[in-house]
Amino acid sequence: MGIGSLFGRGAAVRREVEHSRDALYRVAYAWCHDAQRADDLVHEAIEKALRNAAQLRDAQRVRGWVFRILANCLRDQQRARRDEIELEEVEEQLFAAGPTPEEAHASIEIAARVRQAIARLPLGQRQVVTLVDLEGCSYAEVGEALEIPIGTVMSRLCRARQALRGHLTPLAAEQAETKLRSVK
Amino acid sequence: MSEEPGISEEMQNAFVDGELDAAEWARVAQAMGRDEQLRRSLCEVRTVKEMVQHAYATPPAGARRAGRGAFAAGGWAIAASVLFALGGWFSHAWWAKAPELDPASAYTLGRFAASVDQNLVLVHISNGERESLGRALDEVEDLLRAARDSGRAIRVEIVANRQGIDLLRAGVSPHEARLAALRASYANLELVACGQTMQRLGERGERVNLLPGIEVAPSALDEVVRRLQEGWVYVRA
Repeated sequence: MGIGSLFGRGAAVRREVEHSRDALYRVAYAWCHDAQRADDLVHEAIEKALRNAAQLRDAQRVRGWVFRILANCLRDQQRARRDEIELEEVEEQLFAAGPTPEEAHASIEIAARVRQAIARLPLGQRQVVTLVDLEGCSYAEVGEALEIPIGTVMSRLCRARQALRGHLTPLAAEQAETKLRSVK
Repeated sequence: MSEEPGISEEMQNAFVDGELDAAEWARVAQAMGRDEQLRRSLCEVRTVKEMVQHAYATPPAGARRAGRGAFAAGGWAIAASVLFALGGWFSHAWWAKAPELDPASAYTLGRFAASVDQNLVLVHISNGERESLGRALDEVEDLLRAARDSGRAIRVEIVANRQGIDLLRAGVSPHEARLAALRASYANLELVACGQTMQRLGERGERVNLLPGIEVAPSALDEVVRRLQEGWVYVRA
């Protein structure tokens, strides 16, 4: 492999890292439900990823790798703060801003309730389900990102979805009924 | 949650997440055809997945990020309405998550021609990109040629839906001439379009003229389930 392709590889990884900013933020927010904290996590993760871009041999695997860095940043931050987010805190954050015209909209309310249900999950389950659902990560990528075996990815996902189905299926039913009524 | 034996919750998740290989995927798709409980359960998983996607489509912006985005209306509502009107199940776009052709699996067409004595092969195409359609036709042609060379009486059917239906549309297909030549050489190649995709295009005001001699199935899913029940091998191109 020539120097040119080595150089090109690092640049490709860096480009990929920069492109994953929105995905990282979405996932970071879904993990901690705090915009400021998510922002800090993403900033830190991107900084680390760019600094270490040369370590990654395969630009195709950037996604799993950056999510792993993000998960590590979250772990470090939690260690430092020693406070796994409390539910009350999450709820406060969800509703603290008060209703804006946007939030008056029913779909916002549903989004908030879905986020609450996600926030109630243990962190491990929350991480798996958000990587799979929000970023379309494969189970293998999730395993790589969180440094857990695929069997664990599947069992955490299973438990997360069971809990979410319990909370959200009635909500979906309610919503579908409202829609039907408004059509009639 | 399902009465179907052997379709565990983990497998249902993997089905919805597109994590199954072609053989496992086909098994769930088949079971789905006869087990309403399983359909409902899969639909719930799908609904929850779409609700989660919706909830974080535009997360509140942090300090470094500009502005607060507008919230998009939830696509999950579509899945929710399917959930509560299961008659509409077959219209739901499950196809997006069918397994990709894995080059290492026995379901790769090239390997089929050489090593598998399956004579009924259904190829499902849902991607409309010129190159991927071209590749699918290459593989189908290899398969047909190899079978002819070895004297095997094979039948191959291409079923196309979503963007893949463009392959079969007169004046739209990027491979119209090639398809005509293939059909002229191989009478054992059948082409089937998804009726539901055609209807959807029609509703959007697009005129759908199919190439001559193409059959229309009620939907691609109906066709796949029917063929699987008849013992065909399912390959996703």
